[in-house]
Amino acid sequence: MNSFWRFLKSVRLAIGLIIALASFSTLATLIPQGLDAERYFQLYPRIVALLVTETGLSHYFSSLLFLFPAFAFFFNLSACTVSRLARELRKKGPRRHGPDILHVGLLVLVVGSLVSYSERKEGAVSLKVGDGVELPGGETLTLKSFTDVRYDDGRPKDWISVVDIAKEGKILVADRGIRVNTPLRRPGLTLYQATYGSEPTVRLIGPDGVTHRLARGETYEEGGVSVFFMTIEESGSVLLRVSNSDEVIRLTADGAGLAAGSGAGVDAGPWRATLSAEAVTGLQAVVDPGYKFVLAGLILVALGTAVTFARKIKETV
Amino acid sequence: MIPAIPAIAFILLLAAAALQAIRLFRPGGKGDPVSVWLLAAAALLLFGFSLQRSFEIGFAALTSTFESLVFYAAVVALVVALYRFQRRIPFSPFVAFASTFFAAALLAVASSPLLPKDALPPIPALNSSWLALHVAFSFIGEAFFVVSFASSLAFLFSGDADRRLALDRVTYAAIAVGYPIFTAGALVFGAIWAERAWGHWWSWDPKETWALVTWLVYTAYLHVRLVMKRKDALASAIAVVGFVCTVFTFFGVNYLLPGLHSYG
Repeated sequence: MNSFWRFLKSVRLAIGLIIALASFSTLATLIPQGLDAERYFQLYPRIVALLVTETGLSHYFSSLLFLFPAFAFFFNLSACTVSRLARELRKKGPRRHGPDILHVGLLVLVVGSLVSYSERKEGAVSLKVGDGVELPGGETLTLKSFTDVRYDDGRPKDWISVVDIAKEGKILVADRGIRVNTPLRRPGLTLYQATYGSEPTVRLIGPDGVTHRLARGETYEEGGVSVFFMTIEESGSVLLRVSNSDEVIRLTADGAGLAAGSGAGVDAGPWRATLSAEAVTGLQAVVDPGYKFVLAGLILVALGTAVTFARKIKETV
Repeated sequence: MIPAIPAIAFILLLAAAALQAIRLFRPGGKGDPVSVWLLAAAALLLFGFSLQRSFEIGFAALTSTFESLVFYAAVVALVVALYRFQRRIPFSPFVAFASTFFAAALLAVASSPLLPKDALPPIPALNSSWLALHVAFSFIGEAFFVVSFASSLAFLFSGDADRRLALDRVTYAAIAVGYPIFTAGALVFGAIWAERAWGHWWSWDPKETWALVTWLVYTAYLHVRLVMKRKDALASAIAVVGFVCTVFTFFGVNYLLPGLHSYG
């Protein structure tokens, strides 16, 4: 048992595992990850393709080739940390806890990674101004505006989605901008500015001049007549079906074109239907209960290395 | 074409390297008295250029390969100058020469017509203080690794035991200073930035993986050197491998492997 414990906490084991992890990880960056098995046989000679697919190098970071040395390293590091900490605590003279902080930080980081790997969830939603989406916990997020800010040369400068978050009619967050690098954090959920674009939207203008917006898949009904936005064709045209007619109406992006709005439009039941492009923001919602552990681990790692080497440099250089 | 200030710094670095090269063939192991000032002047010019460019674009000038190379060369020049000024660790003319030559080589690469040199403000993903910290700390750490590479290479080609011992101290000192800075920059600040920008603190992107491999190699060096008390060729060989990893992380990954870091 003693010899096993000595082996488990040995630096030689740590070095061996570090070399294995570094070597295989390096190899994995040179091989495209996650392709179908047949693709590797097209890319490489048969023997290499067999090696890649059978050893797990094709999906290295979720394969045993990575997970086994990674877990072995975790146990090696745990044993080393316990052993070293016990030794330091027994000391009568000045103690050196820099390496302990660093090692504990790495362990917390690994635990955080595992929680993150198993519990992390993400979803994406596309919103137009005025659209709302339900968040966990009964909150509703509503997009108030979306701005695509450009530099003078046309390069993107910023994408800003301004949102409100309300619960049971009470505004909890008002006019909060979500930008790249400035996510919105809610309890248990973080919202990121992920994508942007535009989406064809049908405007139904009634005899009274009132306009109704219709997105893909939506139906508008009034006075027993309804209009259903069926689909968007590859050409950018949209198909509508009016309830009192068997005919499918094709609305093309004619005239000034889709991006600039309208064109002449067509009759759809009692309404005049025109086509326009509306700005759409893509928000990504992430639930990652592991990140707080990861962050704590990272801070401990940074602190541990700083404390360890500030002292070492003072003493030994 | 490379702007005037980095071009002048390049000439100063070449002059410093030439003066240091002459000293390589003189016995005594002392540095020349002039090259250190040329290095300091080159560093000052390059930092000034980075600062002026940062004001121009309204953000830390670290978001393109050209800007990163200029900053990296500035830090290497400064570290070599400090190495020449200090008295605590042994001075090796070869280490100073090789590191200075590397700084000049970085500027030579920066002058490549293939690298865009326009001063452009950052795109949204790069507009983050965490990104600036991530890049700056990574290069400061790597600048110390340049010195450790030169000393470990000299160690491997030296047969003199006393000289080897002195070079081992240089390698260790450089890595002991660079490692915590690199850890903070490449791993900690990098992960924090990635989480804020994309919602993924780690995505096994090739550059991330290579940065981790680099960190693992230097971690192995420190364990071999500090815990196993090895001051022999093994430790130096690991230090050389570590530096090769930093070079591949910067150049190889950018140009050979696809990923999130394709812009810098």
